[in-house]
Amino acid sequence: MTAHVEDDTALTDTVLDALARREIVESDADPAVRLLSDPAIRLLRALVADVDETGEVADYRLSSVSITPST
Amino acid sequence: MPNVTEGRVADAATGVRLATRSDESDLRELTSLAVRGDRAAIESLLGHLRPMVVRYCRARLGRVSGHYHIADDVAQEVCIAVLSALPRYRDMGRPFASFVFGIASHKVADALRSSVRSAVPTQDLPDGPDERPGPEETVVRYIEAQHARALLSRLPEHQRELLILRVVSGLSAEETGNVLGMSPGAVRVAQHRALARLRQIAELESIA
Repeated sequence: MTAHVEDDTALTDTVLDALARREIVESDADPAVRLLSDPAIRLLRALVADVDETGEVADYRLSSVSITPST
Repeated sequence: MPNVTEGRVADAATGVRLATRSDESDLRELTSLAVRGDRAAIESLLGHLRPMVVRYCRARLGRVSGHYHIADDVAQEVCIAVLSALPRYRDMGRPFASFVFGIASHKVADALRSSVRSAVPTQDLPDGPDERPGPEETVVRYIEAQHARALLSRLPEHQRELLILRVVSGLSAEETGNVLGMSPGAVRVAQHRALARLRQIAELESIA
């Protein structure tokens, strides 16, 4: 793998990791910012925003799931 | 009992991320206690895994009539299946998450096959002001997310699964690798290629 490809792979990992943590930072000083206008990243961000829906994931019907394992 | 909430790296309200590297051993211990029937451990483990399972199912199954009822029901089935299988679970050296997402993957495949999408329950009328995004914002987000799903569906299955686990479910490269049987380095290379492929599909579509 060339250094250029390694750099791009690391940059992709940085951005995907931030997306995974829901921590993406839009600072001009961050080299990952250029990836934020990437159409693929925009798509993933839209999907993440939709799937997360404030409150619903965290509150999701825990009470209706039995916590007693079968024996 | 291990406190698995310590070391979590992101928003506690949304429960993002399974665990940092530092508490992976705590999670293993928690799983071990849960397998032995410790109710508090079972509850903690479920609370830990459930948000990721919900996201995974939502990303794979999408909305029906504007709601995530079907996906959330499948996520609940996954949680129940995990609980039912706990007493028979044996630690073979792979993280518990790989066991959970194995079940989730099968449940989603079953749901996609059956595609029984009939009656959708309506929500109760709210008692107070609705703090959620308005109709216009909701529709825009819904359309963008549907577009994302449509383009993701055109990726090879292994690339789609990798991006959903890594980004939408919020697993680290290490955790994703554990679920998919890949090294973290292989995950990083594969996710870079998957993203490039997704970018290519999106750009081709915008030209067409």
